[in-house]
Amino acid sequence: MSAATKQEWGTRLGVILAVAGSAVGLGNFLRFPGQAAQHGGGAFMIPYFCALLLLGIPIGWAEWTMGRYGGRKGFHSAPAIMGVIGGGKLWRYLGVIGVLIPLGVSFYYVFIEAWCLQYFFKYVGAIFGGAGIGLQAGGDVAAQTQASSAHFSEMIGKSADGALFDGGIAPIVWFWIAVFAINVWLVRRGLSGGIETFCKWAMPSMAVCALVVLVRVLTLPAPTPEQTVGNGLGFMWNPDFEALKHSETWLAAAGQIFFSLSVGFGVIINYASYLKRKDDLVLSGLTASATNELFEVGFGGMITLTASFVFLGATGAMAAAASGTFGLGFTTLPVVFAQMPAGNFIGALWFFMLFLAAITSSISMYQPTLAFVQEALGCARDKAIAIVAFVGFIGSAFVVYHSGGMVALGTIDDWVGTFLIVVLAAVQVICFAWIFGMKRGMKEAHEGAAMRIPSIFYPVIKYVAPAYLIIAIAVFASNDLPKWFKGLGENTVARNSILLIVAVTVFLCVLVAIGEKRWRAAGLDVDGERPPDDEIAAMQHKGGKR
Amino acid sequence: MTTAGMIFMIVSLAFVWGLTFWCFKKVLTAPSGDHVVKPPDSLGG
Repeated sequence: MSAATKQEWGTRLGVILAVAGSAVGLGNFLRFPGQAAQHGGGAFMIPYFCALLLLGIPIGWAEWTMGRYGGRKGFHSAPAIMGVIGGGKLWRYLGVIGVLIPLGVSFYYVFIEAWCLQYFFKYVGAIFGGAGIGLQAGGDVAAQTQASSAHFSEMIGKSADGALFDGGIAPIVWFWIAVFAINVWLVRRGLSGGIETFCKWAMPSMAVCALVVLVRVLTLPAPTPEQTVGNGLGFMWNPDFEALKHSETWLAAAGQIFFSLSVGFGVIINYASYLKRKDDLVLSGLTASATNELFEVGFGGMITLTASFVFLGATGAMAAAASGTFGLGFTTLPVVFAQMPAGNFIGALWFFMLFLAAITSSISMYQPTLAFVQEALGCARDKAIAIVAFVGFIGSAFVVYHSGGMVALGTIDDWVGTFLIVVLAAVQVICFAWIFGMKRGMKEAHEGAAMRIPSIFYPVIKYVAPAYLIIAIAVFASNDLPKWFKGLGENTVARNSILLIVAVTVFLCVLVAIGEKRWRAAGLDVDGERPPDDEIAAMQHKGGKR
Repeated sequence: MTTAGMIFMIVSLAFVWGLTFWCFKKVLTAPSGDHVVKPPDSLGG
């Protein structure tokens, strides 16, 4: 690749924090506790940790390995890397999913990020005497929850499409534009100067915010003898072993691990492609996963439902757990903060932390597309950034305008942010274990490794992970896919959301075709037929031969 | 909170905090560059 495309990580710690930043998102703090509380409490941790060890960490290692190998061949995009690893056109085009997912998810993720930022400013305003979100301490909880829900719906324009532009531009739109601009600015600063530098600052800041909120929650006074912090923790952690007898519990645990770690998302393969041949990826991959788990279990599992229980009681906490990511985060927790001593300060910290969690994820969504556009067209970085920003803005504007019932957001999240992730993970792990080969793959993974991958993981990567993913896709295809298709037929916005995704896919496929011609003309090993140049050079240096 | 709940919470927290500290300690102290760990011979070592 040309010098213009040359990017690299500054430090080992930097790449770990960037990958961890990509993985840690709203789901760690808001989705995990709900899933755990609904599927056996403490007992949920048994299938959860099994899934971490059998699915999350091994698939992550495979993705890191493929990315670095592709980088050694001079490629940084999922289509080009998959073409090299799989050795052909089919895998190259399947690799398009690895660009489509981060780009498609960014369409709605920056909007959610804007919600976090606006809530943060509302709480900061409340500290200085502002109205905040209009909830008062000591009021009726049911009425407050209703008011909180109405406030949230109005803020994001849930009532109808175009609601955010009726009678002037709503404040959330300006927050969205600001957030989008910050993302583009950070990505434009480059891998090391932008993403890495920001994550090295944002991740510790996020941990500090989470720690302060955790200490506040664990030291809350009990409003009634029943609603204590201990009982709140019990609500989340008391095990119900009966839940382990249900397959849904095991599937929910695997699903949570899977989506939380960002495997099959198209980001790790891109980030790892900027590593050098002797850079460790085994320990780095494990450390990034461990960091994600710390935020999810260590903070997410301790804060939200405990606080909800203390102020809303068992019934309120149950409703909070079942209300999903947005319900818990933007409707229930504001009610909790309204009751809490120093609630405005804690609320501000909480939403600032969620904003950091979101932005460290969203910047990682633009980088894979940027690398791909630059690689396919051979254009200057600024031109590639302009193309990515244009496509990203159009897609995101579609979601912001079609805010009614969050249909556009929900449709893209279901199809791209949920279904395609499982498909890409299956494609990647099959390509790695069965096409590239476990022997070759493990040898590549251990180049420069600071620790060895335990042997137990070899059959896990080759048999267990692909089998799990294929079964999950088959079960989904028979149970849910028909309903999803029916939903598309009934709703114009949902259908148009899918048309948008199809249009983006066609655009990306055209780029693959253009890129392939360029790469072949430049003499690059597009189909992975020879060892990487650095390996050949090392062998020649040693005087050895293959 | 029941004793079983307490045990599950403490073990889970100890696992994630312990794993994170162990990993970061190793990352910050491990030599970089040519320090290579090979896989077993049967798998390309």
